[in-house]
This record gives sequence, structure tokens and C-alpha cells, in this order.
Amino acid sequence: PVEGSGDPNCVDEILKEMTQSWPPPLTAIHTPCKTEPSKFPFPTKDTHAFPS
Amino acid sequence: VQSTESSSKLEMPDYVAKYTPLVSLDQRQHYKDDFNAEYDEYRQLHAHVESITRRFTQLDAQSRKLTPGTKEHQKVQEEVLKEYKKMKHHNPSYHEEKQRCEYLHNKLAHIKRLIADFDQRRAQAWC
Repeated sequence: PVEGSGDPNCVDEILKEMTQSWPPPLTAIHTPCKTEPSKFPFPTKDTHAFPS
Repeated sequence: VQSTESSSKLEMPDYVAKYTPLVSLDQRQHYKDDFNAEYDEYRQLHAHVESITRRFTQLDAQSRKLTPGTKEHQKVQEEVLKEYKKMKHHNPSYHEEKQRCEYLHNKLAHIKRLIADFDQRRAQAWC
């Protein structure tokens, strides 16, 4: 079936054409354009990892 | 999702050549601006097609529950024709809209994927 080639008159054809699965919409791009990724503050307890 | 209407137009979409993998933040902003510029139109078209598809899907489900040849079945069939005529009358460019929406869907998905790839690469580089 070529789109726009005329009106289908048969109900089955109409239903077939008009019930084609339709994907959910794309979501917007949410991430703001950051200049750098958010950094984790270094956990202070890390200092214990290096015993003097 | 590719439509089944394969024509000569279905070789390589223009946006594939236009939007290549990202290499800079400036480019990311540029891609994002392009995405946003068409996103509203896309969502409008999408919602429109969705509402029409939903209506016919309802009628289709109704019709399947009924036995062909019965009065009820006949009524639903008539309803389908009526809805279709109404749709054609109010939305003569429905098919163009749908095609435009499919095109935008694929194009915006392509841009979005490139941005996501870029973000992922950057995140990995920072680790």
C-alpha cells in the first residue's frame, strides 16, 4: 500500500493502515551542557587509607 | 522504526551525513540546539498521530470482539468508515504529517544517540 495513493474503502484496509504501531515519543535531552562532569567530593576517610 | 514504504528516498537519510560523531563541546551545544529546534514540532505531530492511532485501535479492538455479520459488528465497521472520513476531512495532510513525524523521530533519535555517545566517552575519560 502506497501512502496517499487514494482512499481505502475497505474497513479492513483502513484498520490495517490506521492501527500501525506507533512508538512512544522520544524524550528531550535533559542533561544540561556542563563544562565538566559533577565531581565527587573526596571522602575524607580516604586519608586513613595511607597510614604514615 | 522504518516504514515499509521503500522508495528511492530510503537510501541514506540526509541527517546521517550531516550529524557525524561529536568531537567537541561546541558541537554538542550545536547538536542540542538543532534537536531542540525541531523537538516541539516533533512532539506535536507525534501526539496528533498517536491520538488518531489510538482511536482506530479502539475501534479495531471493538470490532474484533464482535462476530462478523451481526448488527453490532456492522455498526463498528460503519463507525470506522465515519471516523476515517472525518479524519480525512479535518486532517487532509495526515499522511504527510505522519511521515514527517517518522522522519523527525529518526533524525532526533540519531542526534540524541550521538550526544549520549559523546557524554559517555567524556564520562569515561574523567574516571
